Amino acid sequence: MSGEVSRRFFLTASLAAGGGFLIGYSLSPVSNLAPNSESPLPLDDFPLNAWVRISSRDEVTLISSQSEMGQGVMTTLPAILAEELCADWNRVKIEISTVAPAYRNPRINWQFTGNSESTTGFFELLRTMGASAREMLIQAAANRWNVPNEECYAENGRIVHRQTQRTLKFGDIAEAAAKLTPSQSPKLKPERDWKLLGKPLRRVELSSKLNGSADFGIDFTLPGMLYAAVMQSPVHGGMVSSFNKESVMNLPGVIDVVPIPNGIAVVAKQYWYAHQALKALKVEFDGKANSATSTAILDQQYRTALNGDKWKAVKTEGDAVRSNSMTGKFPQVFTQEYESQFLAHATMEPMNCTASVTDESCTVWGPLQGPELAKLTLSGMLKLPLEKVYINRTLLGGGFGRRLLVDFVVQAAIISKAVGKPVKVIWSREEDIQHDVYRPATLNQISAGLNESGRPAAIAHKVVSPSILQFVYAPAVTEDNDPSCLEGLMESHYEIASQRVDFKLLKIGVPTSVLRTTGYGPNIFAVESFIDELAFKAGKDPYEFRRGLLKNERSLEVLETVVSQSDWRKKAARGVARGLAYTEAFRTHIAHVVELSIKDNLVTIHRITCAVDCGFPLDPEIIRNSIEGGTVWGLGVAFKSNITFQDGRTVESNFHNYQIAQMQDTPPIDVHIVNGSTKTLGGTGEVGPVTVVPAITNAIFAATGKRYRSLPLSKHGLKLASAA
Amino acid sequence: MKSVAFNLNGSPVTIDVEPEKPLLWVLRDDLGLTGTKYGCGMAICGCCTVHLEGDAIRSCVTPMSRIEGKHVRTIEGLSSDLSHPVQRAWMDLQVPQCGYCQPGQMMSAACLLVQNPNPTDNDITDAMSGNLCRCGTYQRVRKAIHHAAEIAANKGARA
Repeated sequence: MSGEVSRRFFLTASLAAGGGFLIGYSLSPVSNLAPNSESPLPLDDFPLNAWVRISSRDEVTLISSQSEMGQGVMTTLPAILAEELCADWNRVKIEISTVAPAYRNPRINWQFTGNSESTTGFFELLRTMGASAREMLIQAAANRWNVPNEECYAENGRIVHRQTQRTLKFGDIAEAAAKLTPSQSPKLKPERDWKLLGKPLRRVELSSKLNGSADFGIDFTLPGMLYAAVMQSPVHGGMVSSFNKESVMNLPGVIDVVPIPNGIAVVAKQYWYAHQALKALKVEFDGKANSATSTAILDQQYRTALNGDKWKAVKTEGDAVRSNSMTGKFPQVFTQEYESQFLAHATMEPMNCTASVTDESCTVWGPLQGPELAKLTLSGMLKLPLEKVYINRTLLGGGFGRRLLVDFVVQAAIISKAVGKPVKVIWSREEDIQHDVYRPATLNQISAGLNESGRPAAIAHKVVSPSILQFVYAPAVTEDNDPSCLEGLMESHYEIASQRVDFKLLKIGVPTSVLRTTGYGPNIFAVESFIDELAFKAGKDPYEFRRGLLKNERSLEVLETVVSQSDWRKKAARGVARGLAYTEAFRTHIAHVVELSIKDNLVTIHRITCAVDCGFPLDPEIIRNSIEGGTVWGLGVAFKSNITFQDGRTVESNFHNYQIAQMQDTPPIDVHIVNGSTKTLGGTGEVGPVTVVPAITNAIFAATGKRYRSLPLSKHGLKLASAA
Repeated sequence: MKSVAFNLNGSPVTIDVEPEKPLLWVLRDDLGLTGTKYGCGMAICGCCTVHLEGDAIRSCVTPMSRIEGKHVRTIEGLSSDLSHPVQRAWMDLQVPQCGYCQPGQMMSAACLLVQNPNPTDNDITDAMSGNLCRCGTYQRVRKAIHHAAEIAANKGARA
């Protein structure tokens, strides 16, 4: 593979080829009910469908299709299967799935882990698969006993004959059950009979994370495997113009120097040798085309776009009054602008992947959120049939959207092919931060036409943002639209008669993509800051003002919960102020109240209260953990994290200048779960940061009367004081 | 290359190695103990924390020349059966999310509890500020350290 081919090519080529069948395909139940047979199974292990296998040794194996990156999917989703199957949870084995149609997210028929939709996307399907397997086992037992099915039931890994109390273990009848025709519309277990769902389960991989045995991508090894360290053009989009292989070939452990897209790799017997040799390698890059890009120039680009007249009207409701037509139509008009910054994912486990490529096949092992994109991309790039590309997923040391991309997977395959051996590529932290695909900065302008009492009668948003989905889900992106950039604006619960959203999709010289909270983060920072400003203008309490605009019952209950749990109605101590924010994001309703005080630009957060309605809480402890962590993530976004550019390069390079929240930043965080229905499940992996960020700036306004409309707050000289 | 002899998790080890090679990569790639993680290479994130003579140190910046004759303890040496108070507390409070930083968190916590069996919130913040967690599990880490202190105290009382 030529090093001249741009990185962008690798990220998008496969989607262009495969995009046609990503959308508009309905789920085929047959692909789920059929066993998956990519890898050979032991002869006494019997698949009842793609998700459940039972051996004659009475081992129940449940398949985990979603990538485990801390959000608990490897526990909660198999628990859905086990619940319906009536398996003994303490004895089930969990297996990470291959890439196969059966394991695609039914909503978009595409196998990935992201968009906070593992639970919502798979809940019905997994219930059906567990129940279907249970009915096959019951049928097999009834056949064995020669009794009607209706006299039998499943319980704790056994089938019981009600009348005689005879029992058979699942393993006794697995072989016979596997020969039966699966039921496509099995009877689901009533919720009142649930034993696993709704209760906190110990994460299935927890023990391995406590003694060092958990295998992340970076821990994967193969006999005879080599290691690669990579350096990509410091200027985004640049190329290697020359390199001197001989400058490192006599260094310890070095095996080869291999060009990769936009960069160079040194291959060695161990990672440390590769890393050392890479530092010594004589290599020149050509980044001329893009070397002018800087944060200052990008700021101008955003400003020019906002002041320009090229807009795509993406939402028009009621009169959809434009901001420039509001004056004269309403007693008052109020306009403000809000800016969110570029962010890096900075997963604690840096990008890495292991590949073994031969002329006949390609096998990879890695921490992947986008295994199907990896499979398609590698098949296209290596000109191998899809069935000769094997994708194996490890645990992920964080994902946050970064691992939906496959740039690091492509590198591993190119290098393995070049050296003819299995290779593990590991990015240094510097490479990881400087060659991230960033959460784009966003510029929001919001205008409201207000009636005499200050209530908004019309609202108009203008949003300027580079693409979020281009590299991970290209079919959804057009020349002038990207739905992810508009999240949180298209479906507001605030009752405002005239609403419009105008969008400008910006093309910029740095790569951008999905990051935890996607469009919701920047947009809700803008909206919830603006609503707070309107409340102040109207002379209303921020909670009362919001309540006056909300009718949706779930919105109101979440708001009421956070207000009562945070003592919002009680007067705060002297010098202490509170800020509130609410939204629905990723189908979950969430509200935060932040309580803080501020002295000499030093912000002390005393406590944070959160209320969340994600529908029926399938595992309350995992949900709580996720929201706590998301809240902490938001502290970093609000106060610290910032990616900037100079001379076409990313300025920040490691955790000393790309800062994230630390223990001393973390105040007590109380998460209150509002019990909801299984009909309204929502995601909890990304929603945590969304409302805490505006709740912080709203609290700072309440404390000081100063409104901060751009992030991070460190830009304004504000710092977090130690919370303990 | 130089022969370096040291004690690893209670057992003697001798290895021929470049004296400047960081302990982290020797643990991971020469000795196959992958529980100790690479995170930043600059002693900022704490993922690579191990004990050297009982002190919590960053193995990514610790050259093998400093290891000669010393005792090194890694996450694999905390206990094999998850019986160490820190492991038990981490289990009880379900601390980990992705889990990548947790070996480092636990090694820092174990060191703190030896030096200060009953730490305050401030003591915990001081000891743990160099261990980053991108999933944001700090609140549970803090609670788990208090819990581990209780577990260790009860164990001591029984013994």
